Amino acid sequence: MKKKAGVPFYIFLVVFVFVVMFPFLWVLASSIKPATELFGDKAFTPFTDHPTFKNYVSVFANHPFLRYMWNSFVVAFITTVYTVFVASLASYAIARLDFKGKTVILGLVLSVSMFPQIATISPIYIFLKNVGLTNSYMGLIIPYTTFALPLSIWILVTFFRKIPFDLEEAAKMDGASLMQTYWKVIMPLAVPGIFTTAILVFIACWNEFLFALTINTEEKFKTVPVGIAMFQGQFTVPWGEISAATIIVTIPLVILVLLFQRRIISGLTSGAVKE
Amino acid sequence: MKSDIQPGRDPIHSVKTNTSKRKKRSDKLAAYLLVLPALILILVIAIWPVLQSFYFSLFDLRLNDPTKSSTHINYSLDLDRYLNNYPFLIGTIDSEIRSGNAPDQLQKIKERLQQVDREIQQDPTVKKSYNAVNEKLINFQQVPSDLSIVDVDRDTAKKLMKEVTAIANEVSALTKETTFKQGNKLKGLASGLDDSFIEPNYIGFKHYTENLSGNRMWKAISNTVIFTVISVFIELAIGLAIALLINKAFFGRGLVRASILIPWAIPTAVSALMWKYLYDGQNGVVAKLFEKVGLVDHMTNLLTTETGSFFSVIFADVWKTTPYMALLLLAGLQTIPASMYEAAAIDGAGKWKQFLTITLPLLKSSILVALLFRTLDAFRVFDLIFVLTGGGPANSTETISVLAYKVMFSQTNFGEGSALSVIVFICVAIISMIYIKFLGKDLLQDGAK
Repeated sequence: MKKKAGVPFYIFLVVFVFVVMFPFLWVLASSIKPATELFGDKAFTPFTDHPTFKNYVSVFANHPFLRYMWNSFVVAFITTVYTVFVASLASYAIARLDFKGKTVILGLVLSVSMFPQIATISPIYIFLKNVGLTNSYMGLIIPYTTFALPLSIWILVTFFRKIPFDLEEAAKMDGASLMQTYWKVIMPLAVPGIFTTAILVFIACWNEFLFALTINTEEKFKTVPVGIAMFQGQFTVPWGEISAATIIVTIPLVILVLLFQRRIISGLTSGAVKE
Repeated sequence: MKSDIQPGRDPIHSVKTNTSKRKKRSDKLAAYLLVLPALILILVIAIWPVLQSFYFSLFDLRLNDPTKSSTHINYSLDLDRYLNNYPFLIGTIDSEIRSGNAPDQLQKIKERLQQVDREIQQDPTVKKSYNAVNEKLINFQQVPSDLSIVDVDRDTAKKLMKEVTAIANEVSALTKETTFKQGNKLKGLASGLDDSFIEPNYIGFKHYTENLSGNRMWKAISNTVIFTVISVFIELAIGLAIALLINKAFFGRGLVRASILIPWAIPTAVSALMWKYLYDGQNGVVAKLFEKVGLVDHMTNLLTTETGSFFSVIFADVWKTTPYMALLLLAGLQTIPASMYEAAAIDGAGKWKQFLTITLPLLKSSILVALLFRTLDAFRVFDLIFVLTGGGPANSTETISVLAYKVMFSQTNFGEGSALSVIVFICVAIISMIYIKFLGKDLLQDGAK
């Protein structure tokens, strides 16, 4: 099926990419419009004659937006580091070592990754409330483990399986212990896989909404998705600010995606595709 | 010890010498140790809460009602509350008697109260806690709830509750007839005393029977199923088409892939908000577009009518997740060797025939895996609907997760909310079992080949 692409194909591609990107382009155009042009007749003209950065300024001036971003970053970063570490140990054992109950454990991991979050939220919320961890970073890191850990194990197992077994055997023959083999032989080879997993887990944590919405209700501890969703006032919706905020959170993700698209795709499809 | 030879393993190692046996055993131990932390975390943070959700769903649990804010199987007495009322009630009664306000009735009530107090203290374990709590209260210390709440046996509790309720009613009636110095205080203390008895809030499967016989839950389930089936089907169809089209070498591949990934990468809550802007009845450009094309009569109808809002939700979901579907399927397509198509072409098979006989069968497991993940994701949809429509208008887009959230956090009815979330869990379990039956063990097999 590898054949040369013709002109109609490129036209299709351009249309496709335009359709996919259209919401962003429109929101980008809206974010630099002055407030008066967001409503009425001018609402449907894509370009404004009076571009302004007022919306961007007011996102930071009227809302603790930097704080939201910092909260999201701290929670996502800590969750990623600790779950990927724990998962890398478990995945190594599942992928490379021979022991009973492996399939059962992997099945358990898969089923937990399919748990609907709403099914765990009431006990987790009541527990966190009783120990006073609502409105704190720990209050999100703990529940985020429920999806971050199975996700990392699931992806890492496929990566670990791809590393040739001969290397390990050679190390064993030379008398290296299990931990030495793990740290000196497997780890260096697994770094790309671990990095990929970390990106995916980080994005999953960064985007999480339900736990963040219910557990951290104080302004000081809100994360970005919840913060933006709560921009909507009781009677008015500040579309200008919302557009600007959307662009601000999208840009880092665009950069991340452009830089690591190959890795992200290999992570997304690992475990889903049998080679 | 099993002696099966590992693939790729040096035969020397499977020779059963003592040292290799010991080594194998220590390897096994190490494997368990490595898996252990992850396993403990999963058990404690994911599986235990699900079991607890089920337990909670058997109770009438309401966070805004202090007597129902935790699970009680037995009748119990909140000593903290009791001792914050009883002594002051007696004191107030005494001072009213001294002032000569309805002294005879009050004297009787006082004696009955003292009788209740004696009966409470009869149980030696209760008496112990009683004294401990009393001491803490006198020293103005916080009373921990596990000390404060004591179990009382059913018959005694029922008798005492009846008596205290009767007293509270009498006091309240008396305050109407007589003018006391501190009538309101008297009434308040008596009813506070009444509140210190806690009835068990275990109600068995009542939440389930109520929900299964009511309309709202079935409506939410049917919304969820319709949303899942339609959006996943469209995503699969378009995703497969896109995957087939872009499965070739072309200029700008990276750019296309990146643009595909962006909708997937941004938070659903943010993209839902973005769509809310584009769908807006007055200023939304997509709503205007739909009106021009004739999809809706008037752009304001998009988010205000039932079909309009259901369509909007599905459209936004398709936009966000089709690219993801396309990527998964593209990865599957790339594992099919080109030589197979070449051979088929030589045999004279047309494009359509090639698709049916080569692509589809070989892509089957990729499609099933993609469908499994997408179906489960769609079934538990929350962010998109919560932000875009909030379940409205008139609950027409309310899915089961949104309903469970509303019951738990807007009505603070955690018992019923837990029952709903257990229902979501059961549905998800059934769906995954069906898929896994189709997929077989494919998903979990050792892929190390």
